[in-house]
Amino acid sequence: MLALATTALGAYVLVAAGSITVPGSTNTLGPRAFPYLVGGMLVAAGVVLTVLILSGRAGEEEGGEDVDPTVRTDWLTVVLLVVTLVVHVFAINVVGWPFAAALLFAGAAVILGARPWWRAALVGLVLGLVIQVIFGGLLGLSLPAGPLLEGVPFLRG
Amino acid sequence: MDNFSALIDGFATVLHPMYLLYALFGVFIGTAVGVLPGIGPAMAIALLLPLTYTLEPTAAIILFAGIYYGGMYGGSTTSILLNTPGESASIVTAIEGNKMARAGRGAAALATAAIGSFVAGSLATVALTFLAPVIARWAVQLGEPDYFALMVVAFVTVGALLGSSVPRGIAALALGLFLGLVGTDTLTGQQRFTFGVLNLADGIDVVIVAVGLFAVGEALYVGSRMRHGPVRIIPVEKGWRTWMKRDDWRRSWKPWLRGAAIGFPVGTIPAGGADVATFLSYAAERRLAGPRRKQFGRGAIEGVAGPEAANNAASSGVLVPLLTLGLPTTATAAIIIVAFQSYGIQPGPLLLQSESALVWALIASLYIGNLMLVVLNLPLVGMWVKVLRIPRHYLYAGILLFGALGSYALNFSPVDVLLLALIGLAGFFMRRYGYPVAPLVVGMILGPMAEDRLRRSLAISQGDLTYLVSSPFAATAYVAIVVLLVVGLWLKRRERAEEA
Repeated sequence: MLALATTALGAYVLVAAGSITVPGSTNTLGPRAFPYLVGGMLVAAGVVLTVLILSGRAGEEEGGEDVDPTVRTDWLTVVLLVVTLVVHVFAINVVGWPFAAALLFAGAAVILGARPWWRAALVGLVLGLVIQVIFGGLLGLSLPAGPLLEGVPFLRG
Repeated sequence: MDNFSALIDGFATVLHPMYLLYALFGVFIGTAVGVLPGIGPAMAIALLLPLTYTLEPTAAIILFAGIYYGGMYGGSTTSILLNTPGESASIVTAIEGNKMARAGRGAAALATAAIGSFVAGSLATVALTFLAPVIARWAVQLGEPDYFALMVVAFVTVGALLGSSVPRGIAALALGLFLGLVGTDTLTGQQRFTFGVLNLADGIDVVIVAVGLFAVGEALYVGSRMRHGPVRIIPVEKGWRTWMKRDDWRRSWKPWLRGAAIGFPVGTIPAGGADVATFLSYAAERRLAGPRRKQFGRGAIEGVAGPEAANNAASSGVLVPLLTLGLPTTATAAIIIVAFQSYGIQPGPLLLQSESALVWALIASLYIGNLMLVVLNLPLVGMWVKVLRIPRHYLYAGILLFGALGSYALNFSPVDVLLLALIGLAGFFMRRYGYPVAPLVVGMILGPMAEDRLRRSLAISQGDLTYLVSSPFAATAYVAIVVLLVVGLWLKRRERAEEA
């Protein structure tokens, strides 16, 4: 599937490279040449991989210390984690960074199997506030503290 | 001897208490991320990059050097004490070190790894000190086509060797090259592949891609098939007297030296990084073991001492092309280039002249960092074991949180975090289907540089393609690709045969 996506992207790059405007002043190699090269590489790699996969040689999955090679892929966890990340993004400007961070941490931890949920939430809240104090307050990163903590001076970025 | 005095100046800078603190902080973080499964030095530096914009360059570079070195030490602790291998460079250590730990000799394995890393790391840093100025002086004479040739060498070797499958490595590399294309063309000012989106006109930030692939992608992948239940760690006997006996010293010192001699040269050439060095050292030790050969595979101390030394020496070797040619040969080296660039410094042959104080401070900090690591590592093993016991759900939730923080802190725009989630998802699919992520990062960083060199070369030659191979250096480099590929792939095959 990824092989097909690679081929498709390569084909797109090849087509789109033709529509890059070339100013009259470029005499030799313009802004189109390198994209053509890259597009060609993508298509070539994609085609080779498609053939390999169709002939039964699928890729080796990456191993890791925390990866159990015997279980099947748990797609639900992946989807939930991405959703949590997206919720975090939209929460930043509404409730402020520390609380959005707590949401992300607690959400991800519970999805990955942290029990009981309130302990994960507590850890997340503490972590969010500590990061806000260190990076926002001490290192001067402008993390928005959010409406709830607006007045607290040492949290301001 | 002006290099020597420059090094002394470098030491004078680093020994400043403030910088010592940064170095200590760096090796501490580095060891922690090395010990923790799922995070490597590349990811740690990528994550810290946006958070350190407020630091001055010297402090940041010293910090990153500490992380780079610390990560290498930390990895061995994990592979010796945990049942499953840590970062790829120390997989060979896992074979012997793990067996030693199970036989109740974990402390000796940890000690020979740490002391060997110190010995080899220091020797390799000395070699770096003498070699870097020589190569930089020579590299000044290289022309545009020579640089383009070097980058092609890096592309091909990284794409073909930093993964288990050659076509998948090339595909990942091409994806990285594509991501590098997005944005405004530097020579003509034309927008390419920006889809009319204003945010993309400046290009996609490498930090987001690196954090997305390494941090978020890893967290999603582990989440999809997590090893549940408690983390199993082999207990280590207490007290420094159990570290190494006289016999262990006698059996270790030669592998340390041999490991350094193998690791450093392998690190300097783009041939697959530290993995190859550790494997070569392991094979050499086994061949030279003589009557003790039977012990290999059952916990031979030589099989820990040699590869660990080679691993550390190789990571110093990687700095030679990085500092003198601006050429990254591993993912971590590519991220360090980004770190330099974020301070407006372009690594290359002129670096030693234009940023001499910074470079020598960096080299001096390697000596100091090595010393700190050997002091820090052995007595604090108990603490690292505790770090290793962090419940996995908290660990990966924390990785996600820091990834989100790092990409948000780039521009303080939530859009970047969305992009991070998207790239993280791509990283998940790459892992799931066996595509290596390192070539992508290297391609994205080197791609724009290579395009620049290529177009400038052809502007000089007025479109004559033979100009690219006309210089003897460039011609040699293209021949070297073939040699490196054949040797590299042969070594990979041997390595796999060995593991099976």
